[in-house]
Amino acid sequence: MEIKRVGIIGAGTMGAGIAQVCLQSGYQVFLCDANQQVLDKAKGSITARLQKLNQEDTLSNLNLITQIVDLASCHVVIEAVPERLELKRAIFQELAQVCSDDSLLLSNTSSISITEIAAGIPHPERILGFHFFNPAPVMPLVEVIVGYQSGQEEAEQALQFAAKLGKKPVKVKDSPGFIVNRVARPYYNEALRIVGDGIASVEQIDRIMTGAGGFKMGPFALQDLIGIDINFATTQSVYQGFFQESRFKPSRLQERMVQAGTLGKKTGGGFYEYTN
Amino acid sequence: MSTPIKVLVEGVGPQGDAWKGMLQEKGFLVQSIEEAGDGLDVQFALEVTNSDLTIKRQRVQKLDQMLPTGIPLLVTTLAVTATEVASWTRHPQRVCGFGTFLPLEEGNLIEIAPALQTDPSILAQAATFFSALGKETEVVEDEVGLVFPRILSLIINEAIFALIERVAEPEDIDQGMKLGTNYPFGPLRWADRVGLDEVYSVIDGLHREMKEERYRPAPLLRKMVLAGWLGEGVGRGFYTYEIEKEGNYAKQS
Repeated sequence: MEIKRVGIIGAGTMGAGIAQVCLQSGYQVFLCDANQQVLDKAKGSITARLQKLNQEDTLSNLNLITQIVDLASCHVVIEAVPERLELKRAIFQELAQVCSDDSLLLSNTSSISITEIAAGIPHPERILGFHFFNPAPVMPLVEVIVGYQSGQEEAEQALQFAAKLGKKPVKVKDSPGFIVNRVARPYYNEALRIVGDGIASVEQIDRIMTGAGGFKMGPFALQDLIGIDINFATTQSVYQGFFQESRFKPSRLQERMVQAGTLGKKTGGGFYEYTN
Repeated sequence: MSTPIKVLVEGVGPQGDAWKGMLQEKGFLVQSIEEAGDGLDVQFALEVTNSDLTIKRQRVQKLDQMLPTGIPLLVTTLAVTATEVASWTRHPQRVCGFGTFLPLEEGNLIEIAPALQTDPSILAQAATFFSALGKETEVVEDEVGLVFPRILSLIINEAIFALIERVAEPEDIDQGMKLGTNYPFGPLRWADRVGLDEVYSVIDGLHREMKEERYRPAPLLRKMVLAGWLGEGVGRGFYTYEIEKEGNYAKQS
Protein backbone atom coordinates (compact mmCIF):
# COMPACT_ATOMS: atom_id res chain seq x y z
CA MET A 1 0.00 0.00 0.00
CA GLU A 2 1.40 3.37 -1.00
CA ILE A 3 0.34 6.09 1.39
CA LYS A 4 -1.00 9.14 -0.46
CA ARG A 5 -3.98 10.36 1.54
CA VAL A 6 -3.75 11.03 5.28
CA GLY A 7 -6.71 11.78 7.52
CA ILE A 8 -6.40 13.63 10.81
CA ILE A 9 -9.22 13.70 13.34
CA GLY A 10 -9.28 16.62 15.72
CA ALA A 11 -8.16 20.08 14.58
CA GLY A 12 -6.83 21.38 17.90
CA THR A 13 -3.19 22.36 18.45
CA MET A 14 -1.82 18.83 17.93
CA GLY A 15 -4.14 17.98 15.02
CA ALA A 16 -3.30 21.20 13.19
CA GLY A 17 0.43 20.67 13.82
CA ILE A 18 0.26 17.10 12.51
CA ALA A 19 -1.70 18.26 9.44
CA GLN A 20 1.04 20.80 8.72
CA VAL A 21 3.75 18.11 8.98
CA CYS A 22 1.81 15.88 6.54
CA LEU A 23 1.30 18.75 4.09
CA GLN A 24 5.01 19.58 4.19
CA SER A 25 5.78 15.95 3.37
CA GLY A 26 3.60 16.08 0.26
CA TYR A 27 0.51 14.16 1.36
CA GLN A 28 -3.13 14.84 0.53
CA VAL A 29 -4.50 15.81 3.94
CA PHE A 30 -8.07 15.47 5.18
CA LEU A 31 -8.43 17.38 8.42
CA CYS A 32 -11.61 16.34 10.20
CA ASP A 33 -13.36 18.06 13.08
CA ALA A 34 -17.06 18.20 13.99
CA ASN A 35 -16.72 21.92 14.64
CA GLN A 36 -16.32 24.06 11.47
CA GLN A 37 -15.00 27.03 13.49
CA VAL A 38 -12.19 24.89 14.93
CA LEU A 39 -11.36 23.77 11.37
CA ASP A 40 -11.24 27.34 10.10
CA LYS A 41 -9.00 28.40 12.96
CA ALA A 42 -6.69 25.44 12.29
CA LYS A 43 -6.47 26.34 8.60
CA GLY A 44 -5.58 29.90 9.60
CA SER A 45 -2.70 28.82 11.83
CA ILE A 46 -1.42 26.24 9.31
CA THR A 47 -1.55 28.85 6.54
CA ALA A 48 0.37 31.39 8.61
CA ARG A 49 3.10 28.90 9.48
CA LEU A 50 3.45 27.56 5.93
CA GLN A 51 3.66 31.10 4.56
CA LYS A 52 6.55 31.81 6.91
CA LEU A 53 8.28 28.72 5.50
CA ASN A 54 7.43 29.68 1.89
CA GLN A 55 5.52 26.42 1.52
CA GLU A 56 1.99 27.79 1.06
CA ASP A 57 1.71 25.92 -2.27
CA THR A 58 1.13 22.74 -0.25
CA LEU A 59 -2.11 24.26 1.11
CA SER A 60 -3.92 23.09 -2.04
CA ASN A 61 -3.60 19.57 -0.59
CA LEU A 62 -5.52 20.52 2.58
CA ASN A 63 -9.15 19.40 2.72
CA LEU A 64 -11.37 20.39 5.66
CA ILE A 65 -14.12 17.93 6.47
CA THR A 66 -16.64 17.47 9.30
CA GLN A 67 -17.61 13.80 8.87
CA ILE A 68 -15.50 10.73 9.58
CA VAL A 69 -17.16 8.98 6.65
CA ASP A 70 -15.29 11.37 4.35
CA LEU A 71 -12.03 9.73 5.48
CA ALA A 72 -12.97 6.49 3.69
CA SER A 73 -10.30 6.83 1.01
CA CYS A 74 -7.43 7.63 3.43
CA HIS A 75 -4.53 5.18 3.68
CA VAL A 76 -3.58 6.47 7.11
CA VAL A 77 -5.74 8.18 9.73
CA ILE A 78 -4.23 9.87 12.80
CA GLU A 79 -6.62 10.53 15.67
CA ALA A 80 -5.75 13.59 17.78
CA VAL A 81 -8.83 14.27 19.90
CA PRO A 82 -8.87 14.97 23.68
CA GLU A 83 -7.62 12.20 25.97
CA ARG A 84 -10.94 10.46 26.70
CA LEU A 85 -11.09 6.70 26.18
CA GLU A 86 -14.77 6.49 25.18
CA LEU A 87 -14.41 9.31 22.65
CA LYS A 88 -11.38 7.64 21.08
CA ARG A 89 -13.04 4.21 21.04
CA ALA A 90 -16.13 5.60 19.29
CA ILE A 91 -13.91 7.22 16.64
CA PHE A 92 -11.94 4.01 16.00
CA GLN A 93 -15.16 2.01 15.85
CA GLU A 94 -16.40 4.32 13.07
CA LEU A 95 -13.02 4.42 11.31
CA ALA A 96 -12.90 0.63 11.25
CA GLN A 97 -16.18 0.62 9.32
CA VAL A 98 -15.40 3.35 6.77
CA CYS A 99 -11.69 2.73 6.08
CA SER A 100 -10.25 -0.24 4.20
CA ASP A 101 -8.97 -3.19 6.22
CA ASP A 102 -5.36 -2.48 5.25
CA SER A 103 -5.40 1.19 6.27
CA LEU A 104 -3.28 2.28 9.23
CA LEU A 105 -5.35 3.70 12.10
CA LEU A 106 -3.14 5.65 14.49
CA SER A 107 -3.81 7.42 17.77
CA ASN A 108 -1.78 10.37 19.02
CA THR A 109 -2.60 9.41 22.61
CA SER A 110 0.01 10.29 25.20
CA SER A 111 -1.50 8.47 28.16
CA ILE A 112 -4.21 5.98 27.16
CA SER A 113 -3.33 2.35 26.45
CA ILE A 114 -3.51 1.68 22.70
CA THR A 115 -4.49 -1.89 23.57
CA GLU A 116 -7.60 -0.61 25.34
CA ILE A 117 -8.49 1.76 22.48
CA ALA A 118 -8.23 -1.10 19.95
CA ALA A 119 -10.06 -3.74 21.99
CA GLY A 120 -13.05 -5.24 20.18
CA ILE A 121 -12.53 -3.20 17.01
CA PRO A 122 -12.36 -5.17 13.71
CA HIS A 123 -8.79 -5.74 12.47
CA PRO A 124 -7.04 -4.37 15.57
CA GLU A 125 -3.67 -5.24 13.98
CA ARG A 126 -3.85 -1.95 12.02
CA ILE A 127 -4.31 0.16 15.18
CA LEU A 128 -1.16 1.66 16.72
CA GLY A 129 -0.14 4.59 18.88
CA PHE A 130 1.62 7.42 17.05
CA HIS A 131 2.71 9.90 19.70
CA PHE A 132 3.93 13.29 18.48
CA PHE A 133 5.52 15.85 20.81
CA ASN A 134 4.37 19.44 21.05
CA PRO A 135 4.89 21.45 18.84
CA ALA A 136 4.49 18.67 16.27
CA PRO A 137 6.08 20.56 13.32
CA VAL A 138 9.24 21.21 15.38
CA MET A 139 9.80 18.20 17.65
CA PRO A 140 11.52 15.37 15.71
CA LEU A 141 10.34 12.45 17.86
CA VAL A 142 7.39 10.13 17.27
CA GLU A 143 6.79 7.21 19.63
CA VAL A 144 5.19 4.35 17.66
CA ILE A 145 3.25 2.37 20.25
CA VAL A 146 2.71 -1.32 19.58
CA GLY A 147 -0.41 -2.55 21.36
CA TYR A 148 -1.12 -6.10 22.44
CA GLN A 149 -3.02 -6.76 19.20
CA SER A 150 -1.07 -4.47 16.86
CA GLY A 151 0.61 -6.23 13.93
CA GLN A 152 4.39 -6.26 13.52
CA GLU A 153 4.07 -5.55 9.79
CA GLU A 154 1.76 -2.63 10.52
CA ALA A 155 4.22 -1.36 13.13
CA GLU A 156 6.94 -1.35 10.46
CA GLN A 157 4.64 0.58 8.10
CA ALA A 158 3.97 3.14 10.84
CA LEU A 159 7.71 3.53 11.50
CA GLN A 160 8.35 4.05 7.78
CA PHE A 161 5.50 6.55 7.56
CA ALA A 162 6.97 8.54 10.48
CA ALA A 163 10.32 8.60 8.69
CA LYS A 164 8.59 9.87 5.52
CA LEU A 165 7.21 12.72 7.65
CA GLY A 166 10.83 13.62 8.44
CA LYS A 167 10.52 12.36 12.01
CA LYS A 168 12.78 10.08 14.05
CA PRO A 169 10.48 7.30 15.25
CA VAL A 170 11.12 4.94 18.14
CA LYS A 171 9.25 1.65 18.59
CA VAL A 172 7.67 1.18 22.01
CA LYS A 173 5.66 -1.62 23.58
CA ASP A 174 2.35 -0.38 24.98
CA SER A 175 3.06 0.46 28.63
CA PRO A 176 2.28 3.42 30.92
CA GLY A 177 4.00 6.65 29.86
CA PHE A 178 5.63 4.83 26.91
CA ILE A 179 9.34 5.82 26.96
CA VAL A 180 9.56 9.55 27.37
CA ASN A 181 6.84 10.34 29.89
CA ARG A 182 7.94 7.38 32.00
CA VAL A 183 11.73 7.76 32.02
CA ALA A 184 11.45 11.55 32.49
CA ARG A 185 9.34 11.20 35.66
CA PRO A 186 12.27 11.22 38.13
CA TYR A 187 13.57 14.49 36.66
CA TYR A 188 10.48 16.21 38.09
CA ASN A 189 9.40 13.82 40.82
CA GLU A 190 12.74 13.34 42.54
CA ALA A 191 13.47 17.08 42.32
CA LEU A 192 10.13 17.70 44.07
CA ARG A 193 11.00 15.09 46.68
CA ILE A 194 14.38 16.75 47.34
CA VAL A 195 12.65 20.12 47.85
CA GLY A 196 10.02 18.51 50.05
CA ASP A 197 12.73 16.92 52.21
CA GLY A 198 14.49 20.29 52.60
CA ILE A 199 17.72 19.09 50.94
CA ALA A 200 17.95 21.94 48.43
CA SER A 201 15.80 24.81 47.17
CA VAL A 202 13.99 25.07 43.84
CA GLU A 203 16.54 27.61 42.58
CA GLN A 204 19.49 25.52 43.77
CA ILE A 205 18.21 22.36 42.09
CA ASP A 206 17.71 24.19 38.79
CA ARG A 207 21.24 25.62 39.01
CA ILE A 208 22.69 22.20 39.90
CA MET A 209 20.93 20.29 37.11
CA THR A 210 22.00 22.80 34.46
CA GLY A 211 25.46 23.53 35.91
CA ALA A 212 26.57 20.07 37.03
CA GLY A 213 24.37 17.96 34.75
CA GLY A 214 24.30 19.92 31.50
CA PHE A 215 20.49 19.81 31.25
CA LYS A 216 19.18 22.72 29.18
CA MET A 217 16.52 23.67 31.74
CA GLY A 218 16.19 22.83 35.42
CA PRO A 219 13.23 20.66 36.51
CA PHE A 220 11.30 23.56 38.05
CA ALA A 221 11.75 26.09 35.27
CA LEU A 222 10.69 23.28 32.92
CA GLN A 223 7.55 22.49 34.95
CA ASP A 224 6.62 26.18 34.82
CA LEU A 225 6.98 26.07 31.04
CA ILE A 226 5.03 22.81 30.54
CA GLY A 227 2.34 23.73 33.05
CA ILE A 228 2.42 22.29 36.56
CA ASP A 229 -1.12 20.89 36.11
CA ILE A 230 -0.10 19.07 32.90
CA ASN A 231 3.02 17.69 34.58
CA PHE A 232 1.02 16.57 37.63
CA ALA A 233 -1.61 14.88 35.43
CA THR A 234 1.11 12.97 33.54
CA THR A 235 2.65 11.76 36.81
CA GLN A 236 -0.74 10.68 38.13
CA SER A 237 -1.48 8.81 34.91
CA VAL A 238 1.84 6.93 35.00
CA TYR A 239 1.43 6.25 38.75
CA GLN A 240 -2.03 4.75 38.18
CA GLY A 241 -0.81 2.85 35.11
CA PHE A 242 1.83 1.13 37.25
CA PHE A 243 -0.71 0.25 39.98
CA GLN A 244 0.64 2.84 42.45
CA GLU A 245 4.28 1.84 42.08
CA SER A 246 6.08 4.05 44.62
CA ARG A 247 8.72 5.23 42.13
CA PHE A 248 6.00 7.31 40.46
CA LYS A 249 4.21 8.57 43.56
CA PRO A 250 3.02 12.14 42.87
CA SER A 251 4.25 15.03 45.01
CA ARG A 252 2.01 16.77 47.56
CA LEU A 253 3.79 20.06 46.90
CA GLN A 254 2.91 19.80 43.23
CA GLU A 255 -0.70 18.91 44.08
CA ARG A 256 -1.01 21.99 46.33
CA MET A 257 0.26 24.22 43.52
CA VAL A 258 -2.33 22.76 41.15
CA GLN A 259 -5.03 23.32 43.79
CA ALA A 260 -3.86 26.90 44.26
CA GLY A 261 -3.96 27.52 40.51
CA THR A 262 -0.32 28.59 40.36
CA LEU A 263 0.40 26.54 37.27
CA GLY A 264 3.54 28.12 35.87
CA LYS A 265 4.18 30.65 33.10
CA LYS A 266 0.62 30.51 31.79
CA THR A 267 -0.78 31.84 35.09
CA GLY A 268 2.07 34.30 35.70
CA GLY A 269 3.59 32.24 38.47
CA GLY A 270 4.54 28.74 39.52
CA PHE A 271 7.88 27.86 41.02
CA TYR A 272 9.06 31.26 39.76
CA GLU A 273 7.24 34.57 39.29
CA TYR A 274 6.64 35.89 35.78
CA THR A 275 5.77 39.47 34.96
CA ASN A 276 3.62 39.96 31.80
CA MET B 1 54.34 32.35 42.03
CA SER B 2 52.56 30.92 45.04
CA THR B 3 53.46 27.52 46.42
CA PRO B 4 51.17 24.83 45.04
CA ILE B 5 48.51 23.53 47.42
CA LYS B 6 49.23 19.96 48.48
CA VAL B 7 46.29 17.58 48.35
CA LEU B 8 46.10 13.95 49.35
CA VAL B 9 43.71 11.96 47.15
CA GLU B 10 42.51 8.46 48.04
CA GLY B 11 39.88 6.40 46.30
CA VAL B 12 39.29 3.17 44.45
CA GLY B 13 37.05 3.23 41.40
CA PRO B 14 36.90 5.73 38.55
CA GLN B 15 36.85 8.89 40.68
CA GLY B 16 40.30 8.39 42.23
CA ASP B 17 42.27 8.85 39.00
CA ALA B 18 39.85 11.47 37.73
CA TRP B 19 40.30 13.74 40.76
CA LYS B 20 44.09 13.25 40.77
CA GLY B 21 44.23 14.21 37.10
CA MET B 22 42.01 17.25 37.47
CA LEU B 23 43.91 18.57 40.52
CA GLN B 24 47.30 18.11 38.83
CA GLU B 25 46.05 19.90 35.76
CA LYS B 26 44.94 22.83 37.91
CA GLY B 27 48.40 23.10 39.49
CA PHE B 28 47.85 21.28 42.77
CA LEU B 29 50.50 18.94 44.17
CA VAL B 30 48.76 15.58 44.50
CA GLN B 31 49.93 12.80 46.81
CA SER B 32 48.70 9.37 47.83
CA ILE B 33 49.05 7.95 51.35
CA GLU B 34 52.06 5.89 50.23
CA GLU B 35 53.81 8.89 48.69
CA ALA B 36 53.07 11.10 51.67
CA GLY B 37 54.63 8.59 54.09
CA ASP B 38 54.86 9.84 57.65
CA GLY B 39 55.30 13.50 56.86
CA LEU B 40 51.74 14.43 56.03
CA ASP B 41 51.95 18.14 55.42
CA VAL B 42 49.03 18.36 52.96
CA GLN B 43 46.42 21.13 53.21
CA PHE B 44 43.43 19.03 52.09
CA ALA B 45 42.58 15.34 51.89
CA LEU B 46 40.00 13.84 49.51
CA GLU B 47 38.47 10.39 49.80
CA VAL B 48 36.44 9.56 46.66
CA THR B 49 35.58 5.84 46.84
CA ASN B 50 31.88 5.17 46.12
CA SER B 51 31.38 1.53 45.18
CA ASP B 52 32.90 -0.17 48.25
CA LEU B 53 31.94 1.37 51.58
CA THR B 54 34.12 -1.06 53.57
CA ILE B 55 37.18 0.22 51.75
CA LYS B 56 35.94 3.80 52.04
CA ARG B 57 35.61 3.40 55.78
CA GLN B 58 39.13 1.97 56.10
CA ARG B 59 40.62 4.78 54.03
CA VAL B 60 38.73 7.50 55.86
CA GLN B 61 39.78 6.12 59.25
CA LYS B 62 43.39 5.85 58.14
CA LEU B 63 43.39 9.43 56.86
CA ASP B 64 41.77 10.62 60.08
CA GLN B 65 44.53 8.97 62.09
CA MET B 66 47.38 10.28 59.95
CA LEU B 67 46.28 13.85 59.28
CA PRO B 68 46.69 16.73 61.75
CA THR B 69 43.26 17.46 63.28
CA GLY B 70 42.66 20.78 61.50
CA ILE B 71 43.10 19.44 57.96
CA PRO B 72 39.77 19.19 56.09
CA LEU B 73 38.79 15.68 55.06
CA LEU B 74 36.55 16.07 52.01
CA VAL B 75 34.63 12.89 51.14
CA THR B 76 32.35 11.98 48.27
CA THR B 77 28.80 11.25 49.41
CA LEU B 78 27.39 9.45 46.37
CA ALA B 79 26.66 6.26 48.32
CA VAL B 80 26.60 7.37 51.96
CA THR B 81 25.82 10.53 53.92
CA ALA B 82 28.61 12.82 55.07
CA THR B 83 27.20 12.46 58.58
CA GLU B 84 27.76 8.71 58.47
CA VAL B 85 31.31 9.11 57.13
CA ALA B 86 32.03 11.66 59.87
CA SER B 87 30.74 9.18 62.44
CA TRP B 88 33.53 6.77 61.42
CA THR B 89 36.22 9.26 62.49
CA ARG B 90 37.65 10.64 65.75
CA HIS B 91 37.51 14.17 64.38
CA PRO B 92 34.08 14.36 62.73
CA GLN B 93 34.06 18.17 62.68
CA ARG B 94 36.71 18.17 59.90
CA VAL B 95 34.71 15.92 57.56
CA CYS B 96 32.69 17.53 54.78
CA GLY B 97 30.81 15.85 51.93
CA PHE B 98 30.82 16.72 48.23
CA GLY B 99 30.30 15.06 44.91
CA THR B 100 29.43 14.91 41.26
CA PHE B 101 29.57 12.39 38.44
CA LEU B 102 32.35 11.90 35.89
CA PRO B 103 33.63 13.26 33.61
CA LEU B 104 34.80 15.99 35.99
CA GLU B 105 35.81 18.44 33.28
CA GLU B 106 32.30 18.61 31.80
CA GLY B 107 30.27 19.86 34.75
CA ASN B 108 30.98 23.38 35.94
CA LEU B 109 29.38 22.95 39.37
CA ILE B 110 30.24 20.88 42.46
CA GLU B 111 27.76 20.17 45.22
CA ILE B 112 29.00 20.41 48.79
CA ALA B 113 27.09 18.75 51.65
CA PRO B 114 28.28 19.37 55.21
CA ALA B 115 27.69 16.61 57.77
CA LEU B 116 25.70 17.47 60.89
CA GLN B 117 29.09 17.48 62.65
CA THR B 118 30.99 19.66 60.11
CA ASP B 119 32.66 22.76 61.55
CA PRO B 120 31.63 25.94 59.65
CA SER B 121 35.30 26.84 59.00
CA ILE B 122 35.81 23.46 57.30
CA LEU B 123 32.76 24.07 55.10
CA ALA B 124 34.18 27.46 54.13
CA GLN B 125 37.54 25.89 53.24
CA ALA B 126 35.79 23.24 51.14
CA ALA B 127 33.94 25.93 49.18
CA THR B 128 37.22 27.83 48.60
CA PHE B 129 38.95 24.63 47.49
CA PHE B 130 36.36 23.77 44.80
CA SER B 131 36.17 27.39 43.64
CA ALA B 132 39.93 27.23 43.07
CA LEU B 133 39.23 24.45 40.55
CA GLY B 134 37.14 26.90 38.56
CA LYS B 135 33.88 25.27 39.63
CA GLU B 136 30.76 26.92 40.96
CA THR B 137 29.52 25.43 44.21
CA GLU B 138 26.13 24.85 45.81
CA VAL B 139 25.87 23.90 49.46
CA VAL B 140 23.02 21.42 49.97
CA GLU B 141 21.81 19.43 52.96
CA ASP B 142 23.42 16.06 53.57
CA GLU B 143 21.67 13.22 51.79
CA VAL B 144 22.97 10.21 49.82
CA GLY B 145 23.74 11.09 46.20
CA LEU B 146 23.34 14.85 46.65
CA VAL B 147 21.10 16.37 43.93
CA PHE B 148 22.49 15.79 40.42
CA PRO B 149 23.85 12.25 40.90
CA ARG B 150 20.62 11.28 42.69
CA ILE B 151 18.23 12.58 40.02
CA LEU B 152 20.29 11.29 37.07
CA SER B 153 20.72 7.87 38.70
CA LEU B 154 16.97 7.52 39.14
CA ILE B 155 16.37 8.48 35.49
CA ILE B 156 18.91 5.81 34.48
CA ASN B 157 17.29 3.30 36.87
CA GLU B 158 13.90 3.89 35.22
CA ALA B 159 15.40 3.49 31.76
CA ILE B 160 16.84 0.14 32.88
CA PHE B 161 13.49 -1.00 34.27
CA ALA B 162 11.96 -0.14 30.87
CA LEU B 163 14.76 -2.12 29.18
CA ILE B 164 14.17 -5.12 31.47
CA GLU B 165 10.47 -5.04 30.55
CA ARG B 166 11.42 -4.95 26.82
CA VAL B 167 9.48 -1.70 26.39
CA ALA B 168 12.02 -0.64 23.77
CA GLU B 169 15.54 -1.27 22.49
CA PRO B 170 18.40 0.61 24.25
CA GLU B 171 18.98 2.83 21.19
CA ASP B 172 15.28 3.76 21.07
CA ILE B 173 15.17 4.57 24.80
CA ASP B 174 18.18 6.84 24.38
CA GLN B 175 16.91 8.44 21.18
CA GLY B 176 13.49 9.01 22.74
CA MET B 177 14.93 10.84 25.73
CA LYS B 178 17.34 12.93 23.69
CA LEU B 179 14.74 14.03 21.13
CA GLY B 180 11.65 14.04 23.35
CA THR B 181 13.13 15.89 26.33
CA ASN B 182 16.34 17.43 25.01
CA TYR B 183 18.60 15.57 27.44
CA PRO B 184 22.29 15.96 26.56
CA PHE B 185 22.68 12.15 26.43
CA GLY B 186 20.30 9.22 26.42
CA PRO B 187 20.15 7.71 29.93
CA LEU B 188 21.80 4.38 29.02
CA ARG B 189 24.62 6.06 27.11
CA TRP B 190 24.95 8.46 30.04
CA ALA B 191 25.25 5.52 32.46
CA ASP B 192 28.07 4.13 30.30
CA ARG B 193 29.93 7.46 30.51
CA VAL B 194 29.46 7.89 34.28
CA GLY B 195 30.19 4.25 35.12
CA LEU B 196 27.50 1.75 36.06
CA ASP B 197 29.21 1.06 39.40
CA GLU B 198 28.89 4.74 40.31
CA VAL B 199 25.21 4.85 39.31
CA TYR B 200 24.50 1.66 41.27
CA SER B 201 26.32 3.08 44.32
CA VAL B 202 23.94 6.04 44.40
CA ILE B 203 20.71 4.05 44.00
CA ASP B 204 21.76 1.28 46.38
CA GLY B 205 22.92 3.93 48.87
CA LEU B 206 19.57 5.72 48.71
CA HIS B 207 17.75 2.40 49.11
CA ARG B 208 19.83 1.51 52.15
CA GLU B 209 19.46 4.97 53.68
CA MET B 210 15.74 5.61 53.04
CA LYS B 211 14.52 2.01 53.22
CA GLU B 212 11.93 2.80 50.55
CA GLU B 213 10.82 0.69 47.59
CA ARG B 214 11.05 3.91 45.52
CA TYR B 215 14.84 3.53 45.47
CA ARG B 216 14.99 -0.15 44.51
CA PRO B 217 17.87 -0.67 42.06
CA ALA B 218 16.92 -2.28 38.74
CA PRO B 219 18.15 -5.90 38.95
CA LEU B 220 19.86 -5.69 35.55
CA LEU B 221 21.98 -2.77 36.79
CA ARG B 222 23.25 -4.84 39.70
CA LYS B 223 23.96 -7.81 37.43
CA MET B 224 25.91 -5.68 34.97
CA VAL B 225 28.01 -4.25 37.81
CA LEU B 226 28.70 -7.80 39.06
CA ALA B 227 29.65 -8.84 35.52
CA GLY B 228 32.10 -5.96 35.31
CA TRP B 229 30.22 -4.31 32.43
CA LEU B 230 30.74 -0.87 33.89
CA GLY B 231 30.50 1.20 30.71
CA GLU B 232 32.83 3.13 28.46
CA GLY B 233 35.80 2.88 30.86
CA VAL B 234 36.02 -0.90 30.41
CA GLY B 235 34.77 -1.06 26.82
CA ARG B 236 31.38 -2.59 27.63
CA GLY B 237 28.17 -1.39 29.25
CA PHE B 238 24.81 -0.93 27.56
CA TYR B 239 26.85 -0.37 24.42
CA THR B 240 30.26 -1.72 23.42
CA TYR B 241 33.27 0.49 22.81
CA GLU B 242 36.35 -0.15 20.75
CA ILE B 243 39.73 0.96 21.99
CA GLU B 244 40.82 3.88 19.81
CA LYS B 245 44.12 4.58 21.49
CA GLU B 246 45.40 3.79 24.91
CA GLY B 247 43.02 5.01 27.56
CA ASN B 248 40.47 6.24 25.04
CA TYR B 249 37.40 4.45 23.82
CA ALA B 250 35.11 5.25 20.91
CA LYS B 251 31.48 4.19 20.84
CA GLN B 252 31.14 1.17 18.58
CA SER B 253 27.54 0.03 18.82
